[in-house]
Amino acid sequence: MNVIYLLVPLALILSGSFLAAYIWCARHGQYEDLTTPPHRIFLEDEQKGQERHGL
Amino acid sequence: MSHPQGNNPNGARARGGCSHCGNPIPARGGMETADLAFCCQGCEAVYRILQSQGLGQYYDLQGQSPWIRSSQPASPSPENYAYLEDPEFLKDYAEAGAGCMEFYLEGVHCAACLWLVEKLPEHAAGVESAELDLGKSVAKIRLKPGGSFAQAAETLASWGYKPHAIQQDGEAERLKRRENRSLLTRLGVAAACTGNLMLMSVSLYGGAKGGPARLFEWISFLIFLPVLFYSAVPFYQSCLSSWRTRQLSIDVPVMLAVLVGSLTSIVNLLRGSDLIYFDSLAALVFLLLVSRYLLRRIQQGILNSSHLLHFLAPSLAKRWNAATGAFEESAALRLKVGDLVLVEENEAIPADGVIRKGRSAINQALLNGESLPLEAGPGDAAYAGTVNLSAPLEIEVTATGNASRLGKILREIESGHLKKASIVQFADRLSKWFVGGVLGAAALVLLYFASQGQIESGLSRALALIIVTCPCTLAFATPLALSLSLEHAARKGVLIKGADILEKLTQSDAILLDKTGTLTEGRLELLQWLELSDSKVPLQQIACALESKSRHPIAQALKRHFQTECAGLAPLRIENLRETLGRGVEGEYQGHAYEIRAIHFEAPKALSHTPRPHTRIGLWRDGQLVAQALLGDCLRSDAKPSLAKLQALGLRPFILSGDNSEAVRRIGEELRIPCFRQWANVSPEGKLAILRGFPKGVMVGDGANDAMALSSAFVGVAVQGSMEVSLRAADVYLSQAGLQALVETFEASRETLRVVKRNFAFSLFYNLVGGGAAILGFVHPLVAAVLMPISSLSVLSSSLWGTRKLRRWRAFPS
Repeated sequence: MNVIYLLVPLALILSGSFLAAYIWCARHGQYEDLTTPPHRIFLEDEQKGQERHGL
Repeated sequence: MSHPQGNNPNGARARGGCSHCGNPIPARGGMETADLAFCCQGCEAVYRILQSQGLGQYYDLQGQSPWIRSSQPASPSPENYAYLEDPEFLKDYAEAGAGCMEFYLEGVHCAACLWLVEKLPEHAAGVESAELDLGKSVAKIRLKPGGSFAQAAETLASWGYKPHAIQQDGEAERLKRRENRSLLTRLGVAAACTGNLMLMSVSLYGGAKGGPARLFEWISFLIFLPVLFYSAVPFYQSCLSSWRTRQLSIDVPVMLAVLVGSLTSIVNLLRGSDLIYFDSLAALVFLLLVSRYLLRRIQQGILNSSHLLHFLAPSLAKRWNAATGAFEESAALRLKVGDLVLVEENEAIPADGVIRKGRSAINQALLNGESLPLEAGPGDAAYAGTVNLSAPLEIEVTATGNASRLGKILREIESGHLKKASIVQFADRLSKWFVGGVLGAAALVLLYFASQGQIESGLSRALALIIVTCPCTLAFATPLALSLSLEHAARKGVLIKGADILEKLTQSDAILLDKTGTLTEGRLELLQWLELSDSKVPLQQIACALESKSRHPIAQALKRHFQTECAGLAPLRIENLRETLGRGVEGEYQGHAYEIRAIHFEAPKALSHTPRPHTRIGLWRDGQLVAQALLGDCLRSDAKPSLAKLQALGLRPFILSGDNSEAVRRIGEELRIPCFRQWANVSPEGKLAILRGFPKGVMVGDGANDAMALSSAFVGVAVQGSMEVSLRAADVYLSQAGLQALVETFEASRETLRVVKRNFAFSLFYNLVGGGAAILGFVHPLVAAVLMPISSLSVLSSSLWGTRKLRRWRAFPS
């Protein structure tokens, strides 16, 4: 049961780092535009497909 | 294997419309071939350019991807973008040193546009990257060193996206952005803490006791601290400001719940009791922050749609430079009061001003919807956005940008968006009573049980009561549902000034339509052409040649009608071509004197009231009438079905028009509107009088004729063509001609109100049952803290989900 003393802080550090990443994203305006990225995903596939076919 | 080049533009064409933009092909002025069709020259030009540059894939993508906005026909000729090179201009508009500038693009409507715009670096030299925000239609263009914005702008314009430079972020923009980000950060922190708290609680719910339980409780406390001191701060702030104004806001119970709950939990933690509620309180804060953020984003999104209107005045102006003694080109945005500008023929006037030199005809359609131009000379006022037709004018600037008439009108529209619907006002009032009631009841419960000696039970019940009762419907769900509908309407080209209008639309019982532009095409068309002599002289071509330089609507109608006959043939050489304002054109061809003028010429003062006094024109040769033409408005193809649907919705249709009775009767017959429901030759004052008889009537019209009527009607709807003055007066503006969009808006408004009522009903039920159960002791505060966010979430989802009909309306393409 004493492993708890290791696991809990570890888990908190892990979630803390994700939180830090989120805060960085929010601060740098990654969430400003939520409508365009979903559309852009489909377009990038097209271009990558072209490259793979050696065009 | 090569990529398909999109030779069969399936996307737009398959919809039965223009191969480029998908809009219906008009009866005249459209171009059709075997497998292609275009609604206007602009669309055709763009199509050819895209094909020639190898960008035909655009049309495939257009067919495959969802549209987020209704499309517009492509703007015709690109203008001069040289002002984008001016270093003074760049100082205000481009990010210093980064070679980066933002442009609002007209006509962006789907992912294919995204693909195309972001291909800019490949087709415009000097462009490093182009990034498009679909939601706002804003492209951020970054230049390579030595690149030019003018070239980028020209390329974008040639693709059909007219670019407008956006000024660098002002203070207000920056502040708004900072607030949004801070809210988002708080939200994220609350989310992370809530999740972790729930994890920690699992063990406690699972029955842990003793040492480990204590440990988890303390860890929970630590994780809860950021929520208490950081994420919940917006609630404290709003409570503080409402305390100052002695008002009860809906945030008060939330703040109370959080503070009292935290205090109780901390006390219990220290005492070793297990009645701690950190996880529930964190969940509460998180979900409420989500609601706030959602609402905020939606409401901000609406204001952005109306920015579309901002860019109607021209970007370029010729300003008098006293130093060099000549007129030089400069950005219209940099004009100052007192500047003297030169406006040539067929140029738009860049700012409000007084004419100092020159006499010309001005097309004021942008301000009052009149298709017939107004004569103006020295001393007369001229307004930004109107078009100078026949001769150069020198104008002294009196107001620019936001101070101009156009600017003022646009700003009024923006501020009007925040006006509250009566149902929202009702919700606000109700929420204050609600909060007071809940707090009062909680206090009573506490006192009662305290007097009975069971203060713990009393505290638990009071806390549960405060937590479980949720004014979320009142605070969030209602404005959310309304705002969402406003946003979707705007995307479909229907700009509604405020949520209260949505409400009014559901209450109206009659619809009064102006003839022109709503039921009819809105512009003069040649209906009949009669040649009175058998000569082999090509009268049609002569007519075209005579009208070749004129911008008068009659000239346009003539040229459009004979487009096919005159196409491909060299224009005839006319000697001594002269246009007399308000009268006609004349010239000589092969020794004969030709003249085109109206047959029934009416006095000039009639121009200000009746929009179409000239309906018969004639072509004279050497004083002899050789051909006659009848001009008029023809009925729109969607008029009949739209009218039928409106009647089905319970709106009785009427025609209220300033035009002559013959034309009105003709339209009424076609639409099967009985004579007693038609009014013709109505003056603006007359319209006001008639409207008084319709306390719940919707007036649909355009033009200065209707501005007074539109503002006095229960709901005023302005139709494309006379945007500005009408928008100041009207409540709804349809950016696309025709009634189709209006019909859909009516239906959508009813559905939206249905959603709001559904939310109210659910909320009432929930609060009564939940509150009652809490008082009776059946609800533990922990359970309460779980129930409340669930109810809040469900009511929000209900708003977002809408109804089946609403979802269909929101989807694209329609």
